[in-house]
Amino acid sequence: MDSSDLYNLKQQFTLSAYRALVQKDLPDESSLHYIPALIYKARSYIALNEPKSALKLIPEGSENVAVKAVASLARYVGAAGTSEVESALEELRDLSVEIEGDDVDGSERDKALVRVLAGTAFARAGEIEEALETLGSETEDLEGVALIVQIYLSINRPDLAKKQFDRSKRWAEDDLLLQLIESTVGLATGKDNYSNTSSFYTEQLGNPSLTSPHLLTARGVTRILRGEIQEAKSDLEESLHQQKGDAETEAAYAVAAGLGASKKSEADEIWSKLVSEHPLHPLVQDVNQKADMFDQYASNFTVPPQAGTVSS
Amino acid sequence: MSVMLTKFESKSNRVKGLAFHPTQPLLAASLHNGCVQLWNYRMGVLVDRFEEHEGPVRAVAIHPSRALLCTGGDDYKIKVWDIRPQNRRCLFTLHGHLDYVRTVQFHHEMPWIISASDDQTIRIWNSTSRQCIAVLTGHSHYVMSVQFHPKEDLIVSASMDQTVRVWDISGLRKGSPNQGGPGSSNSNGPGNFETFDTFSTVKHVLEGHDRGVNFATFHPTLPLILSAGDDRVIKIWRMSETKAWEVDSCRGHFNNVSTALFHPKHELIVSCGEDKTVRVWDLGKRTAIQTFRREQDRFWVLAAHPNLNLFAAGHDSGLIVFKLERERPAFSVFQDTLYYVRDKYVRSYDFNTGADIGLLSVRKFGSPYVPPRTLSFNPAERAVILTISSDNGLYELANLPQQAQGEVKDSSVDGKKGSGQSAIFVARNRFAVLNKTTQAIRDLSNSVVKSIKPPVQTNEIFYGGTACLILSSPTAVVLYDIQQQKTIAEINSPPVKYVVWSNDSSLVAMMSKHTITIANKNFSQHTLIHETIRIKSGAWDDAGVFIYSTLNHVKYCLAQGDHGVICTLDNPVYLTRVKGKTVHCLDRSARPRTITFDPTEYRFKLALLKNNYEEMLYIIKTSTLLGQSIIAYLQQKGFPEIALHFVQDTNTRFELAIECGNLDVAMETAREINRPECWERLAQQALKQGNHKVVEKAYQQTKNFDKLSFLYLATGSKDKLSKMQKIADARGDPMSRFHNALYAGDVEGRISVLRDVGLHPLAYLTAKTNGLDELAAEILEAAGLTEADVDDVPTFAASTLKPPPVVTPTTDLLWPSLSTGENFFDRALVNGQLEGGVEPAYVNGDAAAAASSALDAWAREEEVHDEIDPEEGGWELDADADGGEFQSAVDGEEAVDEDEELGAGATPGPSEPELWVRNSPLATDHIAAGSFETAMQLLNRQFGIVNFALLKPLFLSTYRSSHVYLSPYASLPPLKLHVRRNPSENAPSRVLPVAVRSLATLRSELSDGYRLVSGNKLAEAQAAFRAVLQGLLLVVLSSDEEAKQWRETVTAAREYLLGVSIELERRRVVEEEPENVTRNLELAAYFTQCQLQPPHMQIALRSAIGAFARANNQAHAARFAKRLLELKPDPKIVAQARQRIAAGDRNPRNAVEIAYDEFTPFEICAASYTPIYNGSPSVHCPYTDAAYLPQYKGTLDPLVQLTEIGAAASGLPAAW
Repeated sequence: MDSSDLYNLKQQFTLSAYRALVQKDLPDESSLHYIPALIYKARSYIALNEPKSALKLIPEGSENVAVKAVASLARYVGAAGTSEVESALEELRDLSVEIEGDDVDGSERDKALVRVLAGTAFARAGEIEEALETLGSETEDLEGVALIVQIYLSINRPDLAKKQFDRSKRWAEDDLLLQLIESTVGLATGKDNYSNTSSFYTEQLGNPSLTSPHLLTARGVTRILRGEIQEAKSDLEESLHQQKGDAETEAAYAVAAGLGASKKSEADEIWSKLVSEHPLHPLVQDVNQKADMFDQYASNFTVPPQAGTVSS
Repeated sequence: MSVMLTKFESKSNRVKGLAFHPTQPLLAASLHNGCVQLWNYRMGVLVDRFEEHEGPVRAVAIHPSRALLCTGGDDYKIKVWDIRPQNRRCLFTLHGHLDYVRTVQFHHEMPWIISASDDQTIRIWNSTSRQCIAVLTGHSHYVMSVQFHPKEDLIVSASMDQTVRVWDISGLRKGSPNQGGPGSSNSNGPGNFETFDTFSTVKHVLEGHDRGVNFATFHPTLPLILSAGDDRVIKIWRMSETKAWEVDSCRGHFNNVSTALFHPKHELIVSCGEDKTVRVWDLGKRTAIQTFRREQDRFWVLAAHPNLNLFAAGHDSGLIVFKLERERPAFSVFQDTLYYVRDKYVRSYDFNTGADIGLLSVRKFGSPYVPPRTLSFNPAERAVILTISSDNGLYELANLPQQAQGEVKDSSVDGKKGSGQSAIFVARNRFAVLNKTTQAIRDLSNSVVKSIKPPVQTNEIFYGGTACLILSSPTAVVLYDIQQQKTIAEINSPPVKYVVWSNDSSLVAMMSKHTITIANKNFSQHTLIHETIRIKSGAWDDAGVFIYSTLNHVKYCLAQGDHGVICTLDNPVYLTRVKGKTVHCLDRSARPRTITFDPTEYRFKLALLKNNYEEMLYIIKTSTLLGQSIIAYLQQKGFPEIALHFVQDTNTRFELAIECGNLDVAMETAREINRPECWERLAQQALKQGNHKVVEKAYQQTKNFDKLSFLYLATGSKDKLSKMQKIADARGDPMSRFHNALYAGDVEGRISVLRDVGLHPLAYLTAKTNGLDELAAEILEAAGLTEADVDDVPTFAASTLKPPPVVTPTTDLLWPSLSTGENFFDRALVNGQLEGGVEPAYVNGDAAAAASSALDAWAREEEVHDEIDPEEGGWELDADADGGEFQSAVDGEEAVDEDEELGAGATPGPSEPELWVRNSPLATDHIAAGSFETAMQLLNRQFGIVNFALLKPLFLSTYRSSHVYLSPYASLPPLKLHVRRNPSENAPSRVLPVAVRSLATLRSELSDGYRLVSGNKLAEAQAAFRAVLQGLLLVVLSSDEEAKQWRETVTAAREYLLGVSIELERRRVVEEEPENVTRNLELAAYFTQCQLQPPHMQIALRSAIGAFARANNQAHAARFAKRLLELKPDPKIVAQARQRIAAGDRNPRNAVEIAYDEFTPFEICAASYTPIYNGSPSVHCPYTDAAYLPQYKGTLDPLVQLTEIGAAASGLPAAW
C-alpha cells in the first residue's frame, strides 16, 4: 500500500464510501501506513454502526493514542443505551487530557485525531460545549473543522460555521474535505439556491476513483432542497438500488415521495415502510413524537356533536 | 495575429502568377520556367501541369464559374485551358499582344478576358468569338496589371509610367464591338487602335507614385483603390463619379512592393514585396500589424481567395498558402446551449430554439486582430474563461449576464485577467491555468489556491473529469489528479489539441492533428484512430458514438474503433453537438449551422456491437439504404446470419445461408439458382449438419445416384433403396442397380442384374452361395450348362455378408441441431412485425408518440360502470376531464441576500422551523415547522376548525415532507435540513417551508372527484371531495388570483360534496323507505339545485326526470327536461327530453306534492337537506360557507366534519 492508496482511503472516508472502504485489505503491519489505514477502516465500521467489527479490527494493547481513541469511540457507540456509555466517554476524556502531556505515543496528527474522535462522542452524547472545547476553535486540523462546522450547523449557528470554514480556507488549500465542509455549510444555509452543494456532489459523482451511494443520496437530498423532486427521486432510487435498506436514503425518499406528484397512497406506503424498517431514524422518531403532540393539542379543542342529518 | 498560419507550401521555380479556384481547393500557379501548375492545396497534391508557353508565364486566372484557366506568357500569347481532368487541353490561343503579357483576368459575367502587356496596351478579348474586342491605350510604359471592377463597368490598371488609371468600359457592354472590328489576323496595325477607343475612356489618372506601379486593385465594395509600386509604398485612393484622389500611404516595405490586396472580409491590407516580406496593415489606421519574413525568397505575387480567409504568395522558390487567423471558433457546449465567440462577442445559441444572442463583448481582450482561442463555460457560476494566443497567451474570466440585455457589456469591466497559454474550469469554483513554467489552480477571485508542477512538458490542459486534468504533451496525454498531484494514467499520442467528453462523462475523445484517441474516464481502456486528413472537431452523439469532422468529411467512430464516413463537406465545419439526425456545427465564420445526415449505418453497427436486436431489426425495417458495405461488414464481423436478412440477391443469400448454416434459406435459394455447384455445396453443408433430408434433396437435384444410394444405406432407408433400384433399372445402369441391390441386401436383385448383363458365372455363384439352388439351376440352364459342367467350381459357404440391420430407423429423424434458425430475426421477420418488441425511442429520431393511455383507462372504467348500475341504466355521460390544467404560478419572491447580524459564542441560534413560524401566518407553514399547537390555533381562528382528528394524517404528512436528514460527516448524528418553499431565498426573515400541497394538485384531485361522480361511484366521490376540502385548508397561496381560484375550488368542492351527499341520501331512501316517494323526489330535485358542471348537471337532471316521470309528476319532469335542453346535450338525449316535455304538456300535473319551489331561489341546508328560501334565517359553515338551518348553530358541520357551524372565522390570511 503506498501513499496514494492511503489517499484513496481518506477520500473514500471523506465521501462516506464506508462500505467500499471496509472491504479493502489492510497493509502489512510493518508498513508505515498500517496504523492510519487501520484507523480509517475502524472508523468506517463505526460510521456504519458496526462498532463490534471495529473493535475486532483493533489490536489489543496498542499504545497509539489515536488507536485507543478509536477503540473508545467504538465502545461508546456500541454501548449506546447502556450504562457503559459513561465509562467510554471517560476514556475519551482521559485521552484528551493525556495528549496535552509531552510523553505520548503518537504524532500531532494522532493527537488531532483523538480530539476529533472525542469530539464526535461528546457531540453524540449531546455535550456540545464539551465537544467544541475539546476540538478547540483554533484547530488546524481539517477533520476537526468539519466536526465543528457540523456541530455549529446542528445548533443553527451557520454564521459560526461559516467563520470556521473561512478561517480554514486560508491554510487548507483545496482539500476535498474543505470542499465537503463548504458544501455542508451550503446545505444548511441554502446559499445561491444550494448551487455549490449541488455542483459539489455532481462533481464527486463523476469522480473516477470512487463510487459511493452516499453521494447519490446527498445529491438527492440537495435536489429535494432545490425543489427538483423528480430528479431527487431518481437519484435516491439509484442509491437505494446500490445500498438496499439504507435508512438515510429511505428517509429522504419518503420525503421526496411526499413532495412529488406521486399518489398520496404511494407516499404513505413508502413512509410506513420506513417506519417499520427504521424505527430509530430521527425523522421517524421526530414524526412519532409530533403525532403524540398532535393528539395532545387536538384534545384542547372540544368537538361539538355533529349536526343531525336525516340519515344519522 | 501572432503567427501566419501556413496551410500549404510548395517548392518550385519562381512563381509569378497565382489564382484561386472559387469553390474547389485548387490553386493555379504560373512559373518563371513556363510551367503552369494546378495544386490541390488542401490535399497537398499537384493536380495538373500545363506546359505549352515558351518562356516565363506571368499571368494566370481561373474563370469564376466555369472550369477554365487563362494564362499569358512572355511568348506574347494568351492561352485558355479546359482544366477538367477528363478533357484538359488548351482550348484556344489569343494572339495580338506585342510584348510580355503581365496579367489576365476573366470578367465576372461577360465572356471577356482582360490582359495587360508590356506593349503598353490593355486588351479585352471575347472568349466566345475568341477575338480582341478592345485595345486600351494611354499608358506610356509597360502595363503591369489590369483588373475589372467586381461590379461596375470599370477597369483599373497600373503601369511603369508611375500612374494608375481607371477606365470606363460601359460603352463596351452596349455595343457589339467585335462585329466589324478588326480580326486578330489583321489587327496589328496601330491605326486600328482608334476604332476601339470609342468603347472606353480613361476616367481617372492617379498620379502619386514616384516609381513604376506594379499592381492596382479595387475594393470589393467601397470606392477605394489600392496600388503598390517600386517606390516601396502602398497607396490607398478614393474615387467618386467625377474624381479620384490619394487617401493615404502605407510605408514599411524596404524594396519594391509586388502586390497589395484588400482583405476580402476584414479591414486589412495584405501586401508582399521584393524585400522578402508579406505584410499586413490596418486599413483604417494605415499601420503595419504584422510582418512575415522569409530568409531567401523575394515575393512576386499575392492572391486572395474570393470567399475564404486564405491567401497565396509566390516567391523565388515556390509558393505558400496561408491564413491570417485561426478560424476555429472558441466554443463550449452546456446542455442545450452553445457558448461561442463570433467577431469578438461571446454569444449563446440555443440548439432547440435557434435563439442566438450576444452576451458579452471581448473586444478589449488581447490583440484586436486575434480571435479568442478557447472558451470554457462554468454553468454553476454562469462564467466563462477565454484564452487568446496574442501577447504570449492571455486568459480572462468573466461572468455572463443572466439574460441578454440591450447593452452588451465588455469583459474588461469586471473580467479578471492573467497570462497563460491555456485556462479551463476544473470545478464549479476553480479553474486551472497553464503557464509554460507552472500550472496553477485558481479560485474565482483569480487568486492561486494551488500550484502544480506538471509531470511532463505540457502544452495544453483540458478538463479531465472531477478533480482531474488532461495534460497534453508532445508525445502523450496524461490524466492527472489535482488533489493527489500525481499521474493517474498516460496514453501515448501525438500532441492532443482538442478534448471532448461524452454526454454522460464516461468516454473522452482526444483529437490531435491526425489521430483520435477514445478513452474511458480513467484512461484504462482506449482506442486510437488514424486519419490521413486533418481532424478538425468532434462531438458525441447521445448513444455514445463519436462524430467528428475532418477537412472534408463528417465521420463517425464507435468506441471500439470502427469508423466510417457519414457525409462529405465542401468546407470544414466545427461540430458542436449531435442530436439524432442533426449535427450542429459552427462554420468558418462562426455561424451556427446544422447538417442533417442519416445515422442508420453507425446506429446499426452500434446495435450490432451491443447485441440490441430490437433496434437492429427496427433499422432493417425502416431504412432502405443498407448496401453491400454493411453486408461485407456483417460478414467480416462474423454475423452472416444477420447479413442474410438484408440481402435480396439470391446468390449472396445462398452464400450467406451456407456460411451461417441456415439450410432452409439455402435450400430455398438453391432452388432458385438451381445450379449443380450450389446443390453440391448445399449437400456438403447439410451433411455436416446431419440434415440428411436436405442432402437427399440436393443429391436428387444433381442426380447423384451413387451418393444418394449410399445415403439411403446410411440412413437405413430400404424402400428408398429399392426405389433406387427401379430408377437404375429405368436408367439402364446395371452398375447402379447392382449397387442398390447390394445395399438393400436384395440377393435376387443382384442375381438378376448379373444375369441381365450376361455375367452368368457371377450370377450362378451368387445364387449358389446364397442357397438359391433353384435359381442357380435356372441360370445354368439358361447358360446351356448342367451341374456337371461346373463341378470344378468350388462351393462356398453361404455369405454372411449382408446389409447391417437397422438399429434405429433414422429415415425420418434428423440430427438435432442448435436452433440457429429460430433466432430473433427469423421470428420477427416471419411475423412481419416486432412482436412485443419495443420500438426504440430514439432510432432515427422519430419516437412514436405514447398512446393516451389515460383516456383508454377512462373508457374502460366507463364500461364497467354501465354494468354496475342497473337502476339508472348507467350514466353514460362523459365526465369532461378538464381538471389539472391549472397552474399555480408561485412567483419567485425577490431575493435578498442579507446576512443576519452575527452574535458570538456557541449558543444555539434560532432554528429554521422557528423562523418559519415567525415568518408565516399560514397554518400549513406552522405544521411544516412542527408547531402543531399554533397551527391548530390558526385553523381555529381562520376557519373555525374544531375537529382536528381528521386532519392528523395531513398534519403528519406535511411535517414529515418538510424535513430531510443527511450525515455529511462520519458518526455524527445526521443534520436535520429543512426544505424550503423557494430555494433561492435564504434570508432568515423570509425563509418559508416547502408547499407540500399545491392548489394545482388539489384541483386535479377535485377533477378526480368529478370523474368518480361521472362514474357513479358516489361514496368514493364523497370521500374524495372531503379530502379535497381538507387539503385546501393547508394550501399555500401566493397571489390574489390564486386566492380567487382557491375560493372557487372550495365552493365547487362544497357544492359537489353537498350534491353527492343528497344523492346518496336519496338512494338510501329508495332502498330503505321505498314508500317515501315524496322525500325521494325532493332530494332528486335538490340535487339539481347544486352548482354542478354541465355534464354532471345533465346527470342530475336526467336522474330527476326519471324519478319524477316514474312518480307521474309530469309537470316537474317537463321542467327538468327543459333545463336539460338548455345544456345542449347529445341529440339522443335531446330527443328523450323533448318527449318528456311533450308528455308534460299533455299532462301538466304532479301526482306527488313535494317541498320544492324552483321559482324562489333557495339554499339547501347541508344537515337536513331541506331548502332555506331566500330571506329565511340561516347559519353558515365558517370554512366552506355551506348554509344550515339556524337550529344547527354550534354543532359540528356534517359536510366536511371539521368546523363548528356558525363560529366566527377570519378567513385565509393574505400571506403574499
